[in-house]
Amino acid sequence: MRRRELFRQILAAGVAAAAVRSLPAQGPSFNGPAGGTRGTQLVTILAGAFDTSTGPNGIRPLTGVPQFATYVRIQVNPGQQGKIAIGNSAMAAASGNIADAAFIELWPNWDGSVDNGRSDTWIMSDPKWLNTIDLSKIYVWPEIAGEQPVITAYQLV
Amino acid sequence: MLVLSPSAEAGPLVVSGAPTPVAATSKLVNKVSVKPRLGQWSKVLVGGPNLQPDETNAIAVLYPVPNGGQADAFVIQDQGGANTIDLSQIYVYATISGDTPMVEAFEYVTI
Repeated sequence: MRRRELFRQILAAGVAAAAVRSLPAQGPSFNGPAGGTRGTQLVTILAGAFDTSTGPNGIRPLTGVPQFATYVRIQVNPGQQGKIAIGNSAMAAASGNIADAAFIELWPNWDGSVDNGRSDTWIMSDPKWLNTIDLSKIYVWPEIAGEQPVITAYQLV
Repeated sequence: MLVLSPSAEAGPLVVSGAPTPVAATSKLVNKVSVKPRLGQWSKVLVGGPNLQPDETNAIAVLYPVPNGGQADAFVIQDQGGANTIDLSQIYVYATISGDTPMVEAFEYVTI
């Protein structure tokens, strides 16, 4: 393949990825496909280290408006030292020990010395690959302010 | 439209001296997981209504996590995409009274 064709393909892939990240709202109150749909192409709609510092008490939903995914993965960022609490909207309003309102906690693996370096990870997926998981209903709280779990979400469009 | 949502029954489950159901009354969900609470030292048993503290009839025995890394967990999900798992039929026991294993539950709801 000639270098110019290869460059054109890479550019096209980049444009497609950018388009996926800015999915147009299909309804007035949510982004992307509606809940319960099933598309034909699996795309990443959330990736990378997730910063919760803008949320009250450092608690933040995965998205600000409803967006429906078929697969969500939350991983403690290897090398970081605090637990990660995951909960529903009740956790957003919690006082005291916020993790007491979570439905799951993930352990850190600060130096990679246990479990062959594997970090604790929470995975949620729709068994029929439908876009049913509302990311705006899932809240994350890092025990140590400023730490950022690695969060990935997929949607079928 | 159909949405898979965190169930209100999810969260730390207080287990005081005897196997405890996740829900007091029948509640059907699509997915449930039970995991020892990080920083607590109980061994956690999961079973049905006939679960005994001596591990008789246990369907899962989970170790606590002493020093980071991946935690032990029991996870079950209906792969047919329906709410078929009754939380009132899932019992949890912690070997240290008062410990609070984490219960996660997701259910399909129509909004």
